[in-house]
Formats: sequence, structure tokens, C-alpha cells
Amino acid sequence: MVSQMKLSHTAAMILQAIDTGCVYGFSIMEMTGLPSGTVYPAMRRLERDELISSRWERQSIADAEQRPARKYYKLTAAGRVTLEGSRKRYPLLQRMIPSEEAKSL
Amino acid sequence: MNPPLRLALGGMNRVFLHCASLLVSRDQRVDWRREWSAELWHMRRSCPPSELFSWKAEQAAAAFCLGAFQDAFCVRGIRRENREVAPSQHGSAGECLFWLAGLLALSCILACVLPGVYVESHPAHYQINPGLILLQSDLFTDSSAATITGQQFLDLKASRQRGIDGLAFYRMTKETLSPGLHAKPKWAVAHASFNLFALLGGPESFAAVSSEPSGGLPPVVLSDELWKREFNGNPKVIGNVVRVGRIAARVFGVLPRGSWRLPGRADAWLLQPNTEISRSAVGYVVAHTTRFGQAEMYDDRLHINAFVTDDPDADLWGVSFDERTRGPWTIFRFAVFLAFLALPAITSVSLGESCFSSHRPSLARNLYRWVFLSTKIVLLLSIAYFASLDLSYWNATGYSALSEYAQLASSFFICLFGMRWILLDQRERFPVCLRRVTHPAQVGQASRTFLAWNGTELMCTSGHTLLHVPGLPTSWFGTQRWMYLDTSWKFLFAGTGVG
Repeated sequence: MVSQMKLSHTAAMILQAIDTGCVYGFSIMEMTGLPSGTVYPAMRRLERDELISSRWERQSIADAEQRPARKYYKLTAAGRVTLEGSRKRYPLLQRMIPSEEAKSL
Repeated sequence: MNPPLRLALGGMNRVFLHCASLLVSRDQRVDWRREWSAELWHMRRSCPPSELFSWKAEQAAAAFCLGAFQDAFCVRGIRRENREVAPSQHGSAGECLFWLAGLLALSCILACVLPGVYVESHPAHYQINPGLILLQSDLFTDSSAATITGQQFLDLKASRQRGIDGLAFYRMTKETLSPGLHAKPKWAVAHASFNLFALLGGPESFAAVSSEPSGGLPPVVLSDELWKREFNGNPKVIGNVVRVGRIAARVFGVLPRGSWRLPGRADAWLLQPNTEISRSAVGYVVAHTTRFGQAEMYDDRLHINAFVTDDPDADLWGVSFDERTRGPWTIFRFAVFLAFLALPAITSVSLGESCFSSHRPSLARNLYRWVFLSTKIVLLLSIAYFASLDLSYWNATGYSALSEYAQLASSFFICLFGMRWILLDQRERFPVCLRRVTHPAQVGQASRTFLAWNGTELMCTSGHTLLHVPGLPTSWFGTQRWMYLDTSWKFLFAGTGVG
């Protein structure tokens, strides 16, 4: 069921951004160029649909770097499958947000 | 940029986030605000140093924070969707307690709003001095009938009595009151001895009226109802001269509603010296019992030998006022006692503990179950107390034996049938999740009772258990039994989101 889920272009961009290593909200905003009012609600829905999962950074790490702790997001297995489907649906997705492997090539 | 201005703009952004966080449900709010605060911090740090304190950066930060509102609405919407998917509260322990608490709140509010109930539920309003009795002729059995003549009272007062002292007399008449708003109606006026209120106790100012005032005019005390109807509740009427029938009197005060618990419903009390008492009029005599008299009392009654001159055989009974001033709590306790006595006659007091397997709920679950049962009983008793007061005294203006019987009956029936419902409800609640079992299904055939079991099978919607209730109790299947379901049954209840 999850593999057949069709995402909007925005949601697919956010999944792609997370896949490329942008693992917290503001970095996704910077990568996609989308405003906060679009990115965060979209991430809530993706998390609700279990395509991404979140976890809080350990406080000790944040304290060592003298900054507030961040909430990190990562793709779930279902999210990866959906992203593969979305890449086929939106062929320009990888060009807009190239993955790490593509960048290294 | 000006540092104070920068601080103000930073504060504005925090206000935005705070306001947006109020849209998020309370349990998610702290986490949500923490994430947005951290993101804002990183967003500010991401600006190049040249733009760190510029209008452009502040504009971007404000736009970033305004986006928090959209996120908050989204989180709120997702939360609402989840709540709709969550299992229904129907039949849960919380729902049961909610409705009982609602009923209790309603009956409490009514008890506070209805004036008769309010007075009755506060016995301090009508407490009188202890050890008072009402003297009655031996020839009468009705405790509320006027049986003593003025002459008898004067003779009693003149004679030496061992069991009683401090006598007061009053008799009821119908008289007009002027000047009042309504000239025609006649009011119930009690012509009483000066020491009546001093003997009864109650409001201190009334107790002070024990001798003839120096002004010459006798004092008259108005009832709360008369004061409101004839004088529109005007406090300036105190001290004014009114005419009670043909007697001019000075208004001394207003007796609070419900304070008068003695026989005879009076609208006003005209206090007069004993010399003014009509010797032939029949009235009531209130007396205070001495220590000797209290020792002689039996079943709240005291026998008094009336050594009166004209009728040496007319003995008297002194009846205690305890019955009239005991308040509703005593009646309620008696009704609860009767209801618990009668309960086994209408339902089994068993809680249906037996089970097919050796599975037993944990100690904590057992404790939770007993706490739930106790809470239900406490709520029911509270409802019964207040609801019986509402039903019995909603229009009461003073002591009424009928109201007391009504309270006894209503408390008894509410407690009896309420306890029956509580036990039935408890038997149909699964001991682990305390949800009521539902979906009854008839199993087996009644004609094969002695070959195989037949009865009703009910199911816990959380998928924990089945309840088997025998159609006809037999020696091998006498009471209901629980059948605990293991995890392999979960798939059947997957749609409920629980189990």
C-alpha cells in the first residue's frame, strides 16, 4: 500500500532533500527553497504516514557545541520505496536536488 | 541595527512562536516549541555576519516564525484525525464516571439553587437549644396539635416542676397586618411569651428579647416570606410600628427562612407578657428539661405530672424536638442502611469473578478495579443524598414530616436501584480494561441445557475477552465466566485500533 502512495511534488522534494542529507527542518528549507509554512507541515504529514521518522539530538552533543538541540529526520524503509516511485514520477527531482552519489559523480 | 530595536524584533518572533504554540495540543506543545526555537536559532546563525543584524534578516526571521502558525494548524489537524481514529470512549470506565459526576454536579447545583433544599441541608439554620421539649396533653397523640390552654401554662409556670424549667407559650391566630402592601389577607400570627426565642436559642438578637421592652410596644418578629411579600424585603421596616390585628407592635426583626421548626406555621411572632395570654386559648408550650428530666426521658418522651389546681388528672407528655431538628443526614444514613439490607433481595451481590482459565489480572489491575467500584459507589451515594433532598425539599418552607418520608423513600430507592445497577455494570466490565462487554450473541439451544451449555456470549471490544453468561444456571455452569483471549485473536480487532 505504502509503495503505491503518490506524493505531491513538494513532499517528494522534501523526501529527496532528506535523502541527500538535509536532516533537519531549516536545512530542508534551504535546500528546497520552500518557506517554513510549507516545509514543516509537509514533514508532519510525511511522519504521520511513516515515510520519515524523527528523533531528538542528544543534549550533550548540543551542549558541547553551545547550541540548542535539533530534531533530526530520516527516511524510513517505506519512505525510500515511496521516494523511488516519486523519482520515476518526477524525473527532474534528482536534478533539482542531486543526491550525494550523483554529486560525487 | 539599533540593539533595542533588534531585541524588540527578537521578542516579537518569540511571541509569534508562543502564540502559534497555543494552537498545538498541550501534550505536544513543549516538544513543538522546542523544535521551532531551535530552528529559529539555527536560522539566525545561518545568516552571513554582514546580514546578521539587518532588516532583511529580521524580515526573513519574521517570515520564518509566521510559518509556525501553518505548522501548528497542521499538527492540530493531525491530532484531531488521530483522535477520531482512536477507540471510542463508549462503554469505558471514564465515560461511566463522567456521567455519574455530571449527575452529581446537577443535583448539587439544584441543592444550592432551591431555597428549601439549601436551608434543609444546613442544619445550623434551624438548630435550637438542646434539651427542649414540647408539652402536650396526655389525651392527644398528634404531636403537632395545640393541646395546652393558657391557664394550664400559667399553672405550670406557677408550680414547681422537677423535670422542666424555662417554659414558653405560643398560640396561633389569623390576623391582618397593617400597614402592609396588601390589606386584606390574614397572616398566621403566633402570640408568644417574651422568652420564646430566648428559650429556643437561634439568632442571638432574638434571644435577647426575653423581657418587656421599655418602649411599651410589644415586639413582632416577621417571617422571611411575610417580610418579602408585605414589605418588599425593605430593611428599613425594622423598628417601624405595625398593627397586628388590633395590637400595635414594633418590628423587631426578620426570622431567616427555615429557622422555625416548631409546630404551627407562623408568618409573624408577636411577643407578649404572660399577663396578656388568653387563659382559654389553646396553644403550645415549650419547656427546657432539667438534668433530672433528661434522665427520666424514655424514647424521646418525658411524662410530666401536672399538679394543676382545676384538673389534677391532666398529665402531660414532653416530646423532644430532636426529630424536627435532626437534619436530613440522619434520615439518609438510615435509608442507605435499609437499601444495603434489601439489596440481596433484588440482585446477586457477586461480581462474577469466575474464569475459564487460571489467568488472573495483576494486583495493580485488581486495585484499579476496586477503586473504580468504590468511586462509583461514592458518587451514587452522593447523588442519592442530593437528589433526594432536591425531590423532597424543593418547595419546603419549614419542618414537614411528609418531606422527611419523601426523603427516606427517595434515598432508599435511589440507593437500592443504583447499587443494583452498579453491580450489574461491574459484572459486565472486563476486569483488565474495565470496558463493558458488548455484542451479545445467543449460543446453544435452550432445549439442550443438560447436554451442552447455552446462554449469551458477549465480547470486549478491545479484544481482551469473551464473557459467557449461562441461559439457565446449572450445577456445572452456575455463574458467568470470563474467557481471556490471547494475542492470536488480535487480528480480529485490528480495526478498533486497540487490543
